[in-house]
Amino acid sequence: MARQGRSIFALTVPTFLWLTVAVVLPITVMFYFSFLSASPFGTKPASLTLDNYATFFTKDFYSFLAWRSIKLGLLVAALCALIGFPAALVLSHRLSGYWREALLLLVILPFWSNALIRIFAWTMVLREQGLVDQAVHAVLPWAPSVGILYSYPAIVIGLVHSFLPYMILTCYISLQAIDPSLVDAARGLGARDHTILRRIILPLSFPGLAVGAILTFVPVVGAFMEPRILGGRQGITMGTVIEDQFTEVFNWPLGAALSFILLGIVLAILALCYPLLRARFRLG
Amino acid sequence: MKLVASCALSALAAVAVLVGTQTAALHAADGEVRVLNWKGWGTDEPWAIEAFEKETGLKVVHDYITSFPETFTKLRVNPGYYDVVVLNAAFTQQAAAEGLIQPIDTSTIANFGVLFPDLRDSPELNIDGSNFGVVWMWGGTSVSYNTDVFPEPPTSLEVLWDPKYANRVCWRDDAEDSVRFAALATGQDPDKPADMDKIREKLLALKPQIKALWKSGDEWLKLVSAKECDLSTVWTNNTEAAAVQDKLPISFIVAKEGAIAFRDAMSIAKDAPNVKGAEAFINYMVSVPFYQGWVKVGGAPVSANKEAIEQLPESSLTRTVLAAPEALPRLNFKGPLTDEQRQSYLDLWQEVKASFAQ
Amino acid sequence: MMKKSLSGLSLAYLLLVLGFIYLPIVIMTAMAFNESSSYALPFRFSTKWFEQLASNDILLRAGWNSVLLAAANTVVATVLGTMTAIAFARYTFRGKVLLQILLFPPIAIPWLILATAMLIFFFYSGIGRGLHAMLLAHVALSLPYVIVIVGARLQSFGTDLEEAAATLGASPLQTFFRVTLPTIAPGVMAAALFAFGISFDQFVTSYFLSPPGVTTLPVEIYASIRKGFTPEINAISAIIILVSMLLLLAVSRFYRFAGNS
Repeated sequence: MARQGRSIFALTVPTFLWLTVAVVLPITVMFYFSFLSASPFGTKPASLTLDNYATFFTKDFYSFLAWRSIKLGLLVAALCALIGFPAALVLSHRLSGYWREALLLLVILPFWSNALIRIFAWTMVLREQGLVDQAVHAVLPWAPSVGILYSYPAIVIGLVHSFLPYMILTCYISLQAIDPSLVDAARGLGARDHTILRRIILPLSFPGLAVGAILTFVPVVGAFMEPRILGGRQGITMGTVIEDQFTEVFNWPLGAALSFILLGIVLAILALCYPLLRARFRLG
Repeated sequence: MKLVASCALSALAAVAVLVGTQTAALHAADGEVRVLNWKGWGTDEPWAIEAFEKETGLKVVHDYITSFPETFTKLRVNPGYYDVVVLNAAFTQQAAAEGLIQPIDTSTIANFGVLFPDLRDSPELNIDGSNFGVVWMWGGTSVSYNTDVFPEPPTSLEVLWDPKYANRVCWRDDAEDSVRFAALATGQDPDKPADMDKIREKLLALKPQIKALWKSGDEWLKLVSAKECDLSTVWTNNTEAAAVQDKLPISFIVAKEGAIAFRDAMSIAKDAPNVKGAEAFINYMVSVPFYQGWVKVGGAPVSANKEAIEQLPESSLTRTVLAAPEALPRLNFKGPLTDEQRQSYLDLWQEVKASFAQ
Repeated sequence: MMKKSLSGLSLAYLLLVLGFIYLPIVIMTAMAFNESSSYALPFRFSTKWFEQLASNDILLRAGWNSVLLAAANTVVATVLGTMTAIAFARYTFRGKVLLQILLFPPIAIPWLILATAMLIFFFYSGIGRGLHAMLLAHVALSLPYVIVIVGARLQSFGTDLEEAAATLGASPLQTFFRVTLPTIAPGVMAAALFAFGISFDQFVTSYFLSPPGVTTLPVEIYASIRKGFTPEINAISAIIILVSMLLLLAVSRFYRFAGNS
């Protein structure tokens, strides 16, 4: 047991220390700021207060926006799963050898490009007279204009695009681990495709699907760049409101309080899902 | 395992190279002038830096901000690092009060005498008899319009609320400017509007008009080149640059209700390592040759230097529309706001945007 | 063995998804060859942005810095993250849940706030700004991704093989290098690719933590937004994507990382 203890210690301590110095301590300082009545280092004396947290409940639009951001996160995560899982399935179980490696790389590589440039590229696709519009009109000249830039769907498309690689990847690494002989055996016993999918593939790849959903949902809730640039007058989110407290006014305490509330909501949602996740993970 | 080993080796090499770059950057401190400003806002024009470095033998190093509150953060966490800081005059008092900038000995700025006196000596910059900022440039935030859509320029801010241009307005996503525009449109003093409810209503009424809310000059230019807006609220010098450099059909007005104007000044940071160099840099920045050069490359606002103004082409929009004698009285130079005002403007603007999204 | 036939339908679907993923990249590259500085159409072919890029030392140096920093980040984050993922998957220990919860702030708290917090904390703790601070931040932001991605792979395998190896007298290190690592290699490779991307597109922390005069590509891009950035940025991004694509495809020819088939 002592040896196991040493292994655990050696495996986790570097990460633990790293996260402590780079994230936990700074965030603790920010957490303290969120209880101050004025920004630190300002001219005004700051005292401890709960007002910043109370603000969230006194102004209606904060809760409206928080709910809106959560719905956006759920929608984007669901769409990523719907689009990404089948793609990962094709990659993992229909391809092999060099082509599989190559296509998997091709899925991840766009992630290396700059987010802002990707978003501006989307504006060119989605606007009236943009690529989608012109493509539709080339086929159906009489169709009405289909510029969907500066709308909620534009935000969703931009975000799904940003996070799809995560989902495909996490699903892939789970799916790829499924022993093909298991599937063959099931088929040999007369199981149909959808039964195999439901009874074998989905349960066994659940860890990847769940991780992909978390990696999508959590950052989307705080997203601000895609909504702001693609959303037009739909562009306000909790993320933009928090950003403004730092960049427009010098109100770190309120900005910090709002982001801790958002973090709290996200953690609460994940805690609600935890029993389900835990039960499913055991299958793995 | 070869792959792992080669990865680790190349990472170590990467770290070594980066450390080298960084040390080089940190140790070239002698004979430097360190400037804190927006990127692409005059001071970092390559030809200007070259001319200044040749003239003085000093090297210019830039660090950039992306928002004004950031200037304060950067000054606080890098005490004794910066020499010259570009500040909107509305923030100069606050920076002085916090001890982030120091008084400037204006006798060392040879061009100080040829600056417009009412810009130069305004109470925002001249605090208790000391000059905390040398006024550098000024410009406007106004309504720009598509000249193909408007054969005759609009005259009133009300055009922004005209149902004819529903879904064709690109509004600057800025709390302070939004409140100031609504104050002008409702006949109130934009520095201290009396009736905030009226302003809220006016802004809420924008909902059907808005095509996009833009935040950076880059976003705005891309919107205008894609012909997404007939009207926008935007800085006048960006409009002029779009018209001249990008050949877009665009111009701007100073509406009968007025336009917003800003003033940028140059300050010297507290404990600046190179005060002499900072003074020389500021003097060059307010000189005629610098402005001449900036006008030539385009996108320049209006110089605070009386003689430099003459360098603007007679036909330029800046000269004929913004700095026209008949328009000048309608410009409302942004005065300082208290933190409470800024916060309440932001709260209001966020509430309005939330209702846009509903 | 399961039949590895590629039906037309699945191939079509995969290509459709790839098309969706690549649409903006193609446009980004096309705009690098467009004459207009503001993505204006109609398209007029020009190589002027590549020519300007060639003489733009600041941008080239920023691009080079980004690559180096991302490379260093990838190695550190992948090694530390994989170690932790193994501990999570194979052991139960005190503090495990705490450490797992610690993974959420870097994903859930907007990076702007994290970066401000880091700037303040690093300033007062004497860590300061600079390469070490940027690396500290990038690795911290990448670690959660590496841990969950490698973790998802580990979750999908039982411990049977490792136990068998241990029973046969293999030391833990031998077991790791001979059994565990080959099994989880696809996950580790994928995590590394993501770690690279996270650092490579990391703006806020680099921006707050880099000393003046040292910039990276994202910092250059975001600082330019007041005036507008030129398609030189598209040009350099396109070059980097294409070069890394060729490089990785070449590597994958000799090294299987997508798992055994």
